[in-house]
Parts: sequence; C-alpha cells; structure tokens
Amino acid sequence: MGMLEVEDFTKYYGDLLAVDDLSFKIEEGEFGTLLGPSGCGKSTTLHTIAGLREPSEGSIRLRGEDVIDQSPDERNIGMVFQSSATFPHMTVEENVRYGLEMHGFEEEEIEQKISKYLGLVQIDEYRDHKPGELSGGQERRVSIARALAYEPDILLLDEPLTGLDRVLRQELRNEIKQIQREVDVTTLYVTHDQEEALSMSDKIIVLDNGQKQQEGSPTEIYDGPSNSFVANFVGKSTRLKGTVATLDPPAVETPVGTVPVGAVALEGLEVGQRVELFLRPEDVEFADPAGTATTTLGGTVNNVEYLGTFSEVLVDVGEGVEAIVHTSTSNVVDVGDEVALDFDPANVIVLEE
Amino acid sequence: MIIKGLPIPDVVKRYGSPRALVALGLGFLGVAYVVPILLLYWQSLNFGDGGLFIHYESALSGIYLQTLLRSFYYGILTTVVTLSLGYVLAYYIAFRAQREKFLLGLVVLPLWIAYVIRYLGIQLLLFESSPLVQLLGTDFGILFSTRGVIIGLTSVFLPFAILPIYHALNSIEDELISASRTLGAGQLRTIRSVIIPLSLSGIVAGGLIVFILATGSFLAPAILGSPGDTMIANVIQGAYSNFNVGLASSLAVIYTTLLLVVIMAFNSYVNIGRVLGEL
Amino acid sequence: MTDGRLTRLGYVPFALIVYAVLLVPVIMVILTSFTTATAPTVPTEGVSLEWYSKLLNSSQIVDALVVSTIVAVTSAVLSGIIGTVTAFGFVRAEFPYKETFSTLLLLPLMISPVITGLAIVQYAGKIGLTGNFTPLILGHVVLTLPYVFLIIRARLVTFDQTLEQASWTMGANKLETVLNVTLPIVAPSVLTGILIAFVVSFGEFTATQFLISPGTTTVPVIIYTELRTGLEPTISALAAVLAVIMLVAALLGERFGEDN
Repeated sequence: MGMLEVEDFTKYYGDLLAVDDLSFKIEEGEFGTLLGPSGCGKSTTLHTIAGLREPSEGSIRLRGEDVIDQSPDERNIGMVFQSSATFPHMTVEENVRYGLEMHGFEEEEIEQKISKYLGLVQIDEYRDHKPGELSGGQERRVSIARALAYEPDILLLDEPLTGLDRVLRQELRNEIKQIQREVDVTTLYVTHDQEEALSMSDKIIVLDNGQKQQEGSPTEIYDGPSNSFVANFVGKSTRLKGTVATLDPPAVETPVGTVPVGAVALEGLEVGQRVELFLRPEDVEFADPAGTATTTLGGTVNNVEYLGTFSEVLVDVGEGVEAIVHTSTSNVVDVGDEVALDFDPANVIVLEE
Repeated sequence: MIIKGLPIPDVVKRYGSPRALVALGLGFLGVAYVVPILLLYWQSLNFGDGGLFIHYESALSGIYLQTLLRSFYYGILTTVVTLSLGYVLAYYIAFRAQREKFLLGLVVLPLWIAYVIRYLGIQLLLFESSPLVQLLGTDFGILFSTRGVIIGLTSVFLPFAILPIYHALNSIEDELISASRTLGAGQLRTIRSVIIPLSLSGIVAGGLIVFILATGSFLAPAILGSPGDTMIANVIQGAYSNFNVGLASSLAVIYTTLLLVVIMAFNSYVNIGRVLGEL
Repeated sequence: MTDGRLTRLGYVPFALIVYAVLLVPVIMVILTSFTTATAPTVPTEGVSLEWYSKLLNSSQIVDALVVSTIVAVTSAVLSGIIGTVTAFGFVRAEFPYKETFSTLLLLPLMISPVITGLAIVQYAGKIGLTGNFTPLILGHVVLTLPYVFLIIRARLVTFDQTLEQASWTMGANKLETVLNVTLPIVAPSVLTGILIAFVVSFGEFTATQFLISPGTTTVPVIIYTELRTGLEPTISALAAVLAVIMLVAALLGERFGEDN
C-alpha cells in the first residue's frame, strides 16, 4: 500500500475539464513529481490532495485511508507554496512553531524540532527575524522548515523554486533533495521544469491537458518516452519524422535519409508505418568526415553555444531538420562548418505517430 | 482639437511650479479655515472683567463636562458596535460571497445620502406610525433615548468601519490562508492567528474614523435622542444660538484640541490621509 | 475551500441583518413619502403623490431647492478648481511635512462640521463678508475640498507622466501639454470630484445651520426644522427628493470615475 494513492481523480471547473481520470501512487519515502506544462492540471491535483479543493470524481487516499472528508488541517500534510506564504506578522521561529502547536506537540519537543529543522535548512541564525527582512531564497527555506517540522505524512511542494534566480534554484534544488533523503518523507513535487524533475525524482508522472502521459523513473521517462508529447517535453532531441523502411536490418526512411535503428525499437511495428524518431544530444557525436561510418547524418553548423561543461551545437541536416549535439568543449566547431554526425542506432527512440 | 501656439505667461514661468500650486491650495485653506478656527481660539478668551479663562471654567463644569464625556462614551460605544458588525460583514464579503462588487456597492450606497435623511428614516421606523411599531406594539423606548442615538450612529457610520476592514482583508494573500490550513490550523484558529492580525491596520483605521465622526455628531442626538443625550456638537450650537459666543467658542476649542491630539497620536501609526483616500 | 456547512448558513442571515441596518432607514423615507394616510406610514392601501405636489406648491420649499442648487453648483465648481490645483501640487512637488499638510487638508472632514460652521460664520462677520450666499458658499467649499482633493490625488498618482514627457519632446511647452494631454486625460476624475462635491454640499446640514440667513435656507435645513415639530409625509417626500438628487449625482460621478 502506498503512502499516497490517487485513483480516477477527475476535476471540472464548471465546464472546463482540468484533470481527466488521473491515477498514480507514491510509495512511502518516495520522491514523486508531477511534471507538465502550465495548465496541465498538476497544481489542481496537488491542491486537491492537500484538501484545498474538492475532486469532482475519484478518490484520494493517504496512508490507506480515504481523506475526501478531511479538511486540510486534518490531513497531517506539509505544504510548500509557490509564493512561500510565510506569515509576515510572525518571526521565523514563530512561523515554524505554528504547525507544531497545531499538531499538539509538547513545549520541549517544539523547541527541539524548531532548532532541528531551522538547522536543516540552515536558517537558524535568522530565527528572530521577520520574513520581510529575509531574501527570497531564505524565505523559501523557512517555508520548507515550517512544513517539515511536525513531521507530516507527506510533503507537497507547489513549484517552490519559482521566482528564484538560476544559481539559487540549483542550490535549493539540491538541498531539497538532500533534506528529503535525510528526513525520508514521502514527497510530491509539482513543476514544469523537466530538468528539476529528472534530477530530483524517484518517480515522475508526466501530465498534459489533465491527462497522464507517462509514469516512471527518470531514466524510463528520458530514455523510453511513451509518446511524442513526453519525448518532446522532456529533454532535448533531434526529431525526425519518417516511415518504417525495413525490419531487418531495422531502419526508418526519413526525408534526410535512411536512419538505422535498434531492432527492439521496431518491435510491434510494420513496414510503412509512420513513426517519429528522437535522438538525445549526448548520443550524437561528430564523425570523422573522411571516415566510412555507415550511420551518419550530415550538414552545416548553424549555431554553437558554449555552456561551460559542454557545447551545444545545432546542425542543419537538410529538409528543415535541425540536429542537436552535445559535445565536449574541446571539440572546436564553428558556424558554417560542414560536419558529419555519428550515433549508435540502438539509442534512437522510435515512437508511433 | 489641439490647442497650440500658447506661450507661457512670464508670471507663470517665474512662479509657476508644483510648489506654488500647493501654496495656493494651502493658502486658501489657511485663509478660509485655519484662520477662522484660530479666531475661535481667540474668541474663547475673555478680555473683559472676570478673567481670561472664564468661559473655560463654565465649559469644563457641570453639564458641559458631562456632555463632553458622554460624547466620548457614545463614540466608543458606536466604535465597538460598528467594528463588531463591520468586521463580520467585511469578512463575509471578502471571503465568502460571490458578487463582491455588488455587495460593496450596497455598503457604499447609503453614504451618498445625507445624514439628515438617514436619521429621519430611523425616526420613521421607530415612530408610532411605522409598521414595526404597529407590529410589535411598542418601540421598546428606543426612540428619543440613548439606544436610539447609538442605533442611529451605528447605522450611519457602519460603512466607514466596513470599508477599511474589507480593504485590509482583501489584501491578504490566499496562499497565507492555505498555508495556515495545511499547517494544521482549523478555520477558527486561522482567523484568530492569521487573518485578524493581518487585518489589524484596517480595524484601527475603521475604528478611528468611526470614533471621530460619532463623537462629533450633531444630528443623531438631535433627532433620535432625549435632552439627556446631548453631545458636544449640540451644546456648542446651543450656546451659539443663545448668543453666548464666548462659551460656544471655548467648548469648540476644547473639542477641537482634544480631537487634534487624538488624530496626531494615531497619525504616526496609521496615516489617516491614506486611509480616507482609499475609501 | 472546504468548510463547515454551518458557518456557511450562519453568514447569510447575519449579512441580511447588517444590510437591513444600513438600508432600511432610507427605504422607510422613500416608502412613507407615498402613503395615503396623514401620518408617515408605509403605504399599504395604495400610493399617493399628494405630498410631492404639496412640495411644489410651497414657495418656501421651491426657494430652498433653488438655493441648495445654486450653492451646491457654485461650491462644487470652486472646490473642483482649488482641489484639482492643490492635488496637482501635492503629487508633483516634494517638500517637508508633506504628509502632515495633506492631513491638514482633510481636517474639515474629521472635525465636526459644527466647528466649521461656527468658525466661518464668526469669521465672515468679522471680516465683513456679508451677503446671503457668500458665507454659505465659503463654508461649503471648505467642506467639500477634501473630497475633491482625495479623488484627484488618487487619479494623479496613477497618471503616466511619460505621456507628458512625450508631449514635450514633440514640441509642446508645458502649458500646451497640460491643456492638450494632462487635463483631457484627468478630466473625468475632475468631473467625478465636482459631482461628489455637489452631493456633499447639497446634503450638508450641521455647518449650514450656522451659515444660512433669513430667506436663504437649504433643503436639509428645512427637513430638519420640520421634523423637529412632528413627522409628516411631506417631510418624507422632500427627503426622498433630496435623496434622489444626491444618488443620481453620485452615480454619475462614479460612472466618470470608472471610465478611467
């Protein structure tokens, strides 16, 4: 039995269908993420789990019991909001104390927990300050400590890194993950940022337009997207459309040439079937143009972006298709260069159109 | 139609500036308002025989002192009642109701109607010919009594309590309330620990305005009260109509000075100008 | 937000009571003005307009309506000009104690009108401002000025000054800019201010009772004097007329304000 079970959850706002028959499970101690673009229903789902909204249909179970009739204060959850929502009229310490008092802790334990969790998010020295005196990142930490202090059954986070600068986001992202591991609390995280989802989660549920697209581990989602929405939304890739040319050897006919793929990828498909191909940037390399490699795409370099740890190179391979290559920064490539691209056919992701 | 080709007159060029405009406005107010009030201060002093502060001695004795105290007392009563009723209604409109604009409009509507009309309405309600009195057989002695005055003051000044409180409640972020709930606080506890503290400025502002207006009311005691309910405004007018300018002036000075002290004291906490502006 | 059904039920009756406290007085006035009886009751046996025609037949009341209108219009316009000018100054200039001065401008609102009335009538007498209308208008301008000031100031604070800057760069001098750009945009608020000043002036009683003279009396004063001697439906009728005038002007004022 999982800690959180959502079954057949459907939510209407008037005539608008926001969430359509969504089901998923998060196990105890697991870090789950609802990932999707704006308006996909992820926030609505989170708010409903928290008890801030009512489902139109379906059930929500926490620790095995149906919580539909429970108001938010009865559900023993911890929630971190998009805007921090720290109480401006209380000090940091009082903010954290609030939840502890509501959950009936004894005074001694309260003191203990406050120190423990303020320390965990490294904000203990500010305990007597008011949130208004803190920076955005510090406020965010307070809201995390506050939600964890009374050790709820589940931690809900609603895009908590919104509005923070990139460096801070990275920092906090790592910290949240570490804290979650240390505290071992079941977590449901909501975000539209697939990088965040991939780096933090044990399990990702991808949503689009209120419908579940895929549920799986980050690797499963990234390497084996189940449909083109997931393939497009998660991670970058070179995209090609084509038809299955031959099953043995496995190959797909595309406007830029015949692309060899892995045999496994074509399982269940027939010759002539329309498919979409995705190739991850790190699975593509620059081939020696004079070489006789049989699996090359080729073209002209459109753009080179130096990103510190690697370079992202965009190559025009013809027919309006742009290949994305992540390569070591020591490979010096310039805009306008003619290049040949090499890849392992087994890495090609093939999806029915 | 564009107006052009207008050269700026030299006078305006030399002296025209925003500061000059302020001076104009304040100047007018000074000449038309401040000076007359200062004149009252002057007139309250007695330069004939009897001593300089003879009028003040009368003003601060016996019934006049009682009247002053009664005015403050009624002011406080009205403030308490309007804040209690007003807070609940403002809460309802801000958090529970659907058509906020309409409901607020209904609150503002009576403000456009002259006080004299509204007090008349209450008198009509409590008069022997009103349906209410006919139905109940009596008006419980409310008319021409203290209760009548307080009811009148409450009815007339309620909007001044509701609006600042509504404004403060409305500016509380939804997520703060959600946060309080997910942290384990029930509805009532959330109101106590989060909503009320954050709406405190609205409560103080509303209370202050109602207190100031109620204390200085002339019409409520005049129309709805008994002779034992007279307030400071009534005795000032009464003294004047008896040609006792000195007494009227001294009473006016005492009232004005006390009021200014109250205003200045609170001005540091809640800027009244801003609050009134928001109305 | 999920909540107890009980609390939901509890609010509506309470809200109704509060709204009743707010609105029933005015409703009473309007209803009683149509009664067929001789005492002011709610019309249960049909509606009569006799009280309204009595108003028209009374020269005293018609005179008062005229006086109230003249005073209100004049005061509103004067107050509108002074208030707008002052608001401009306050929003565009920096000077010490600005907050204190702007609170000063609001004093006539807060200090009982009895003081204003008393002070001005004494003052007018001393400096020789005689005449039936002058003290009245002076008092009403002072009393309505804060309203105009607040309204215009609120509008100017949100006024986009880059529009004026654009006008200057395009060759207009400051005066032309004010006439062609600033005023037309701010005009609806000025109109609102004037209408609100009109409303306040028309309904003013407490200060006015000091400032009137024999033969020059206003509608609120008549209502008050009459109701002291006993209630009649005629008073309700006059009060209803006053209420309608005030409401119409106020709603017009709000309409202009919203078009911003």
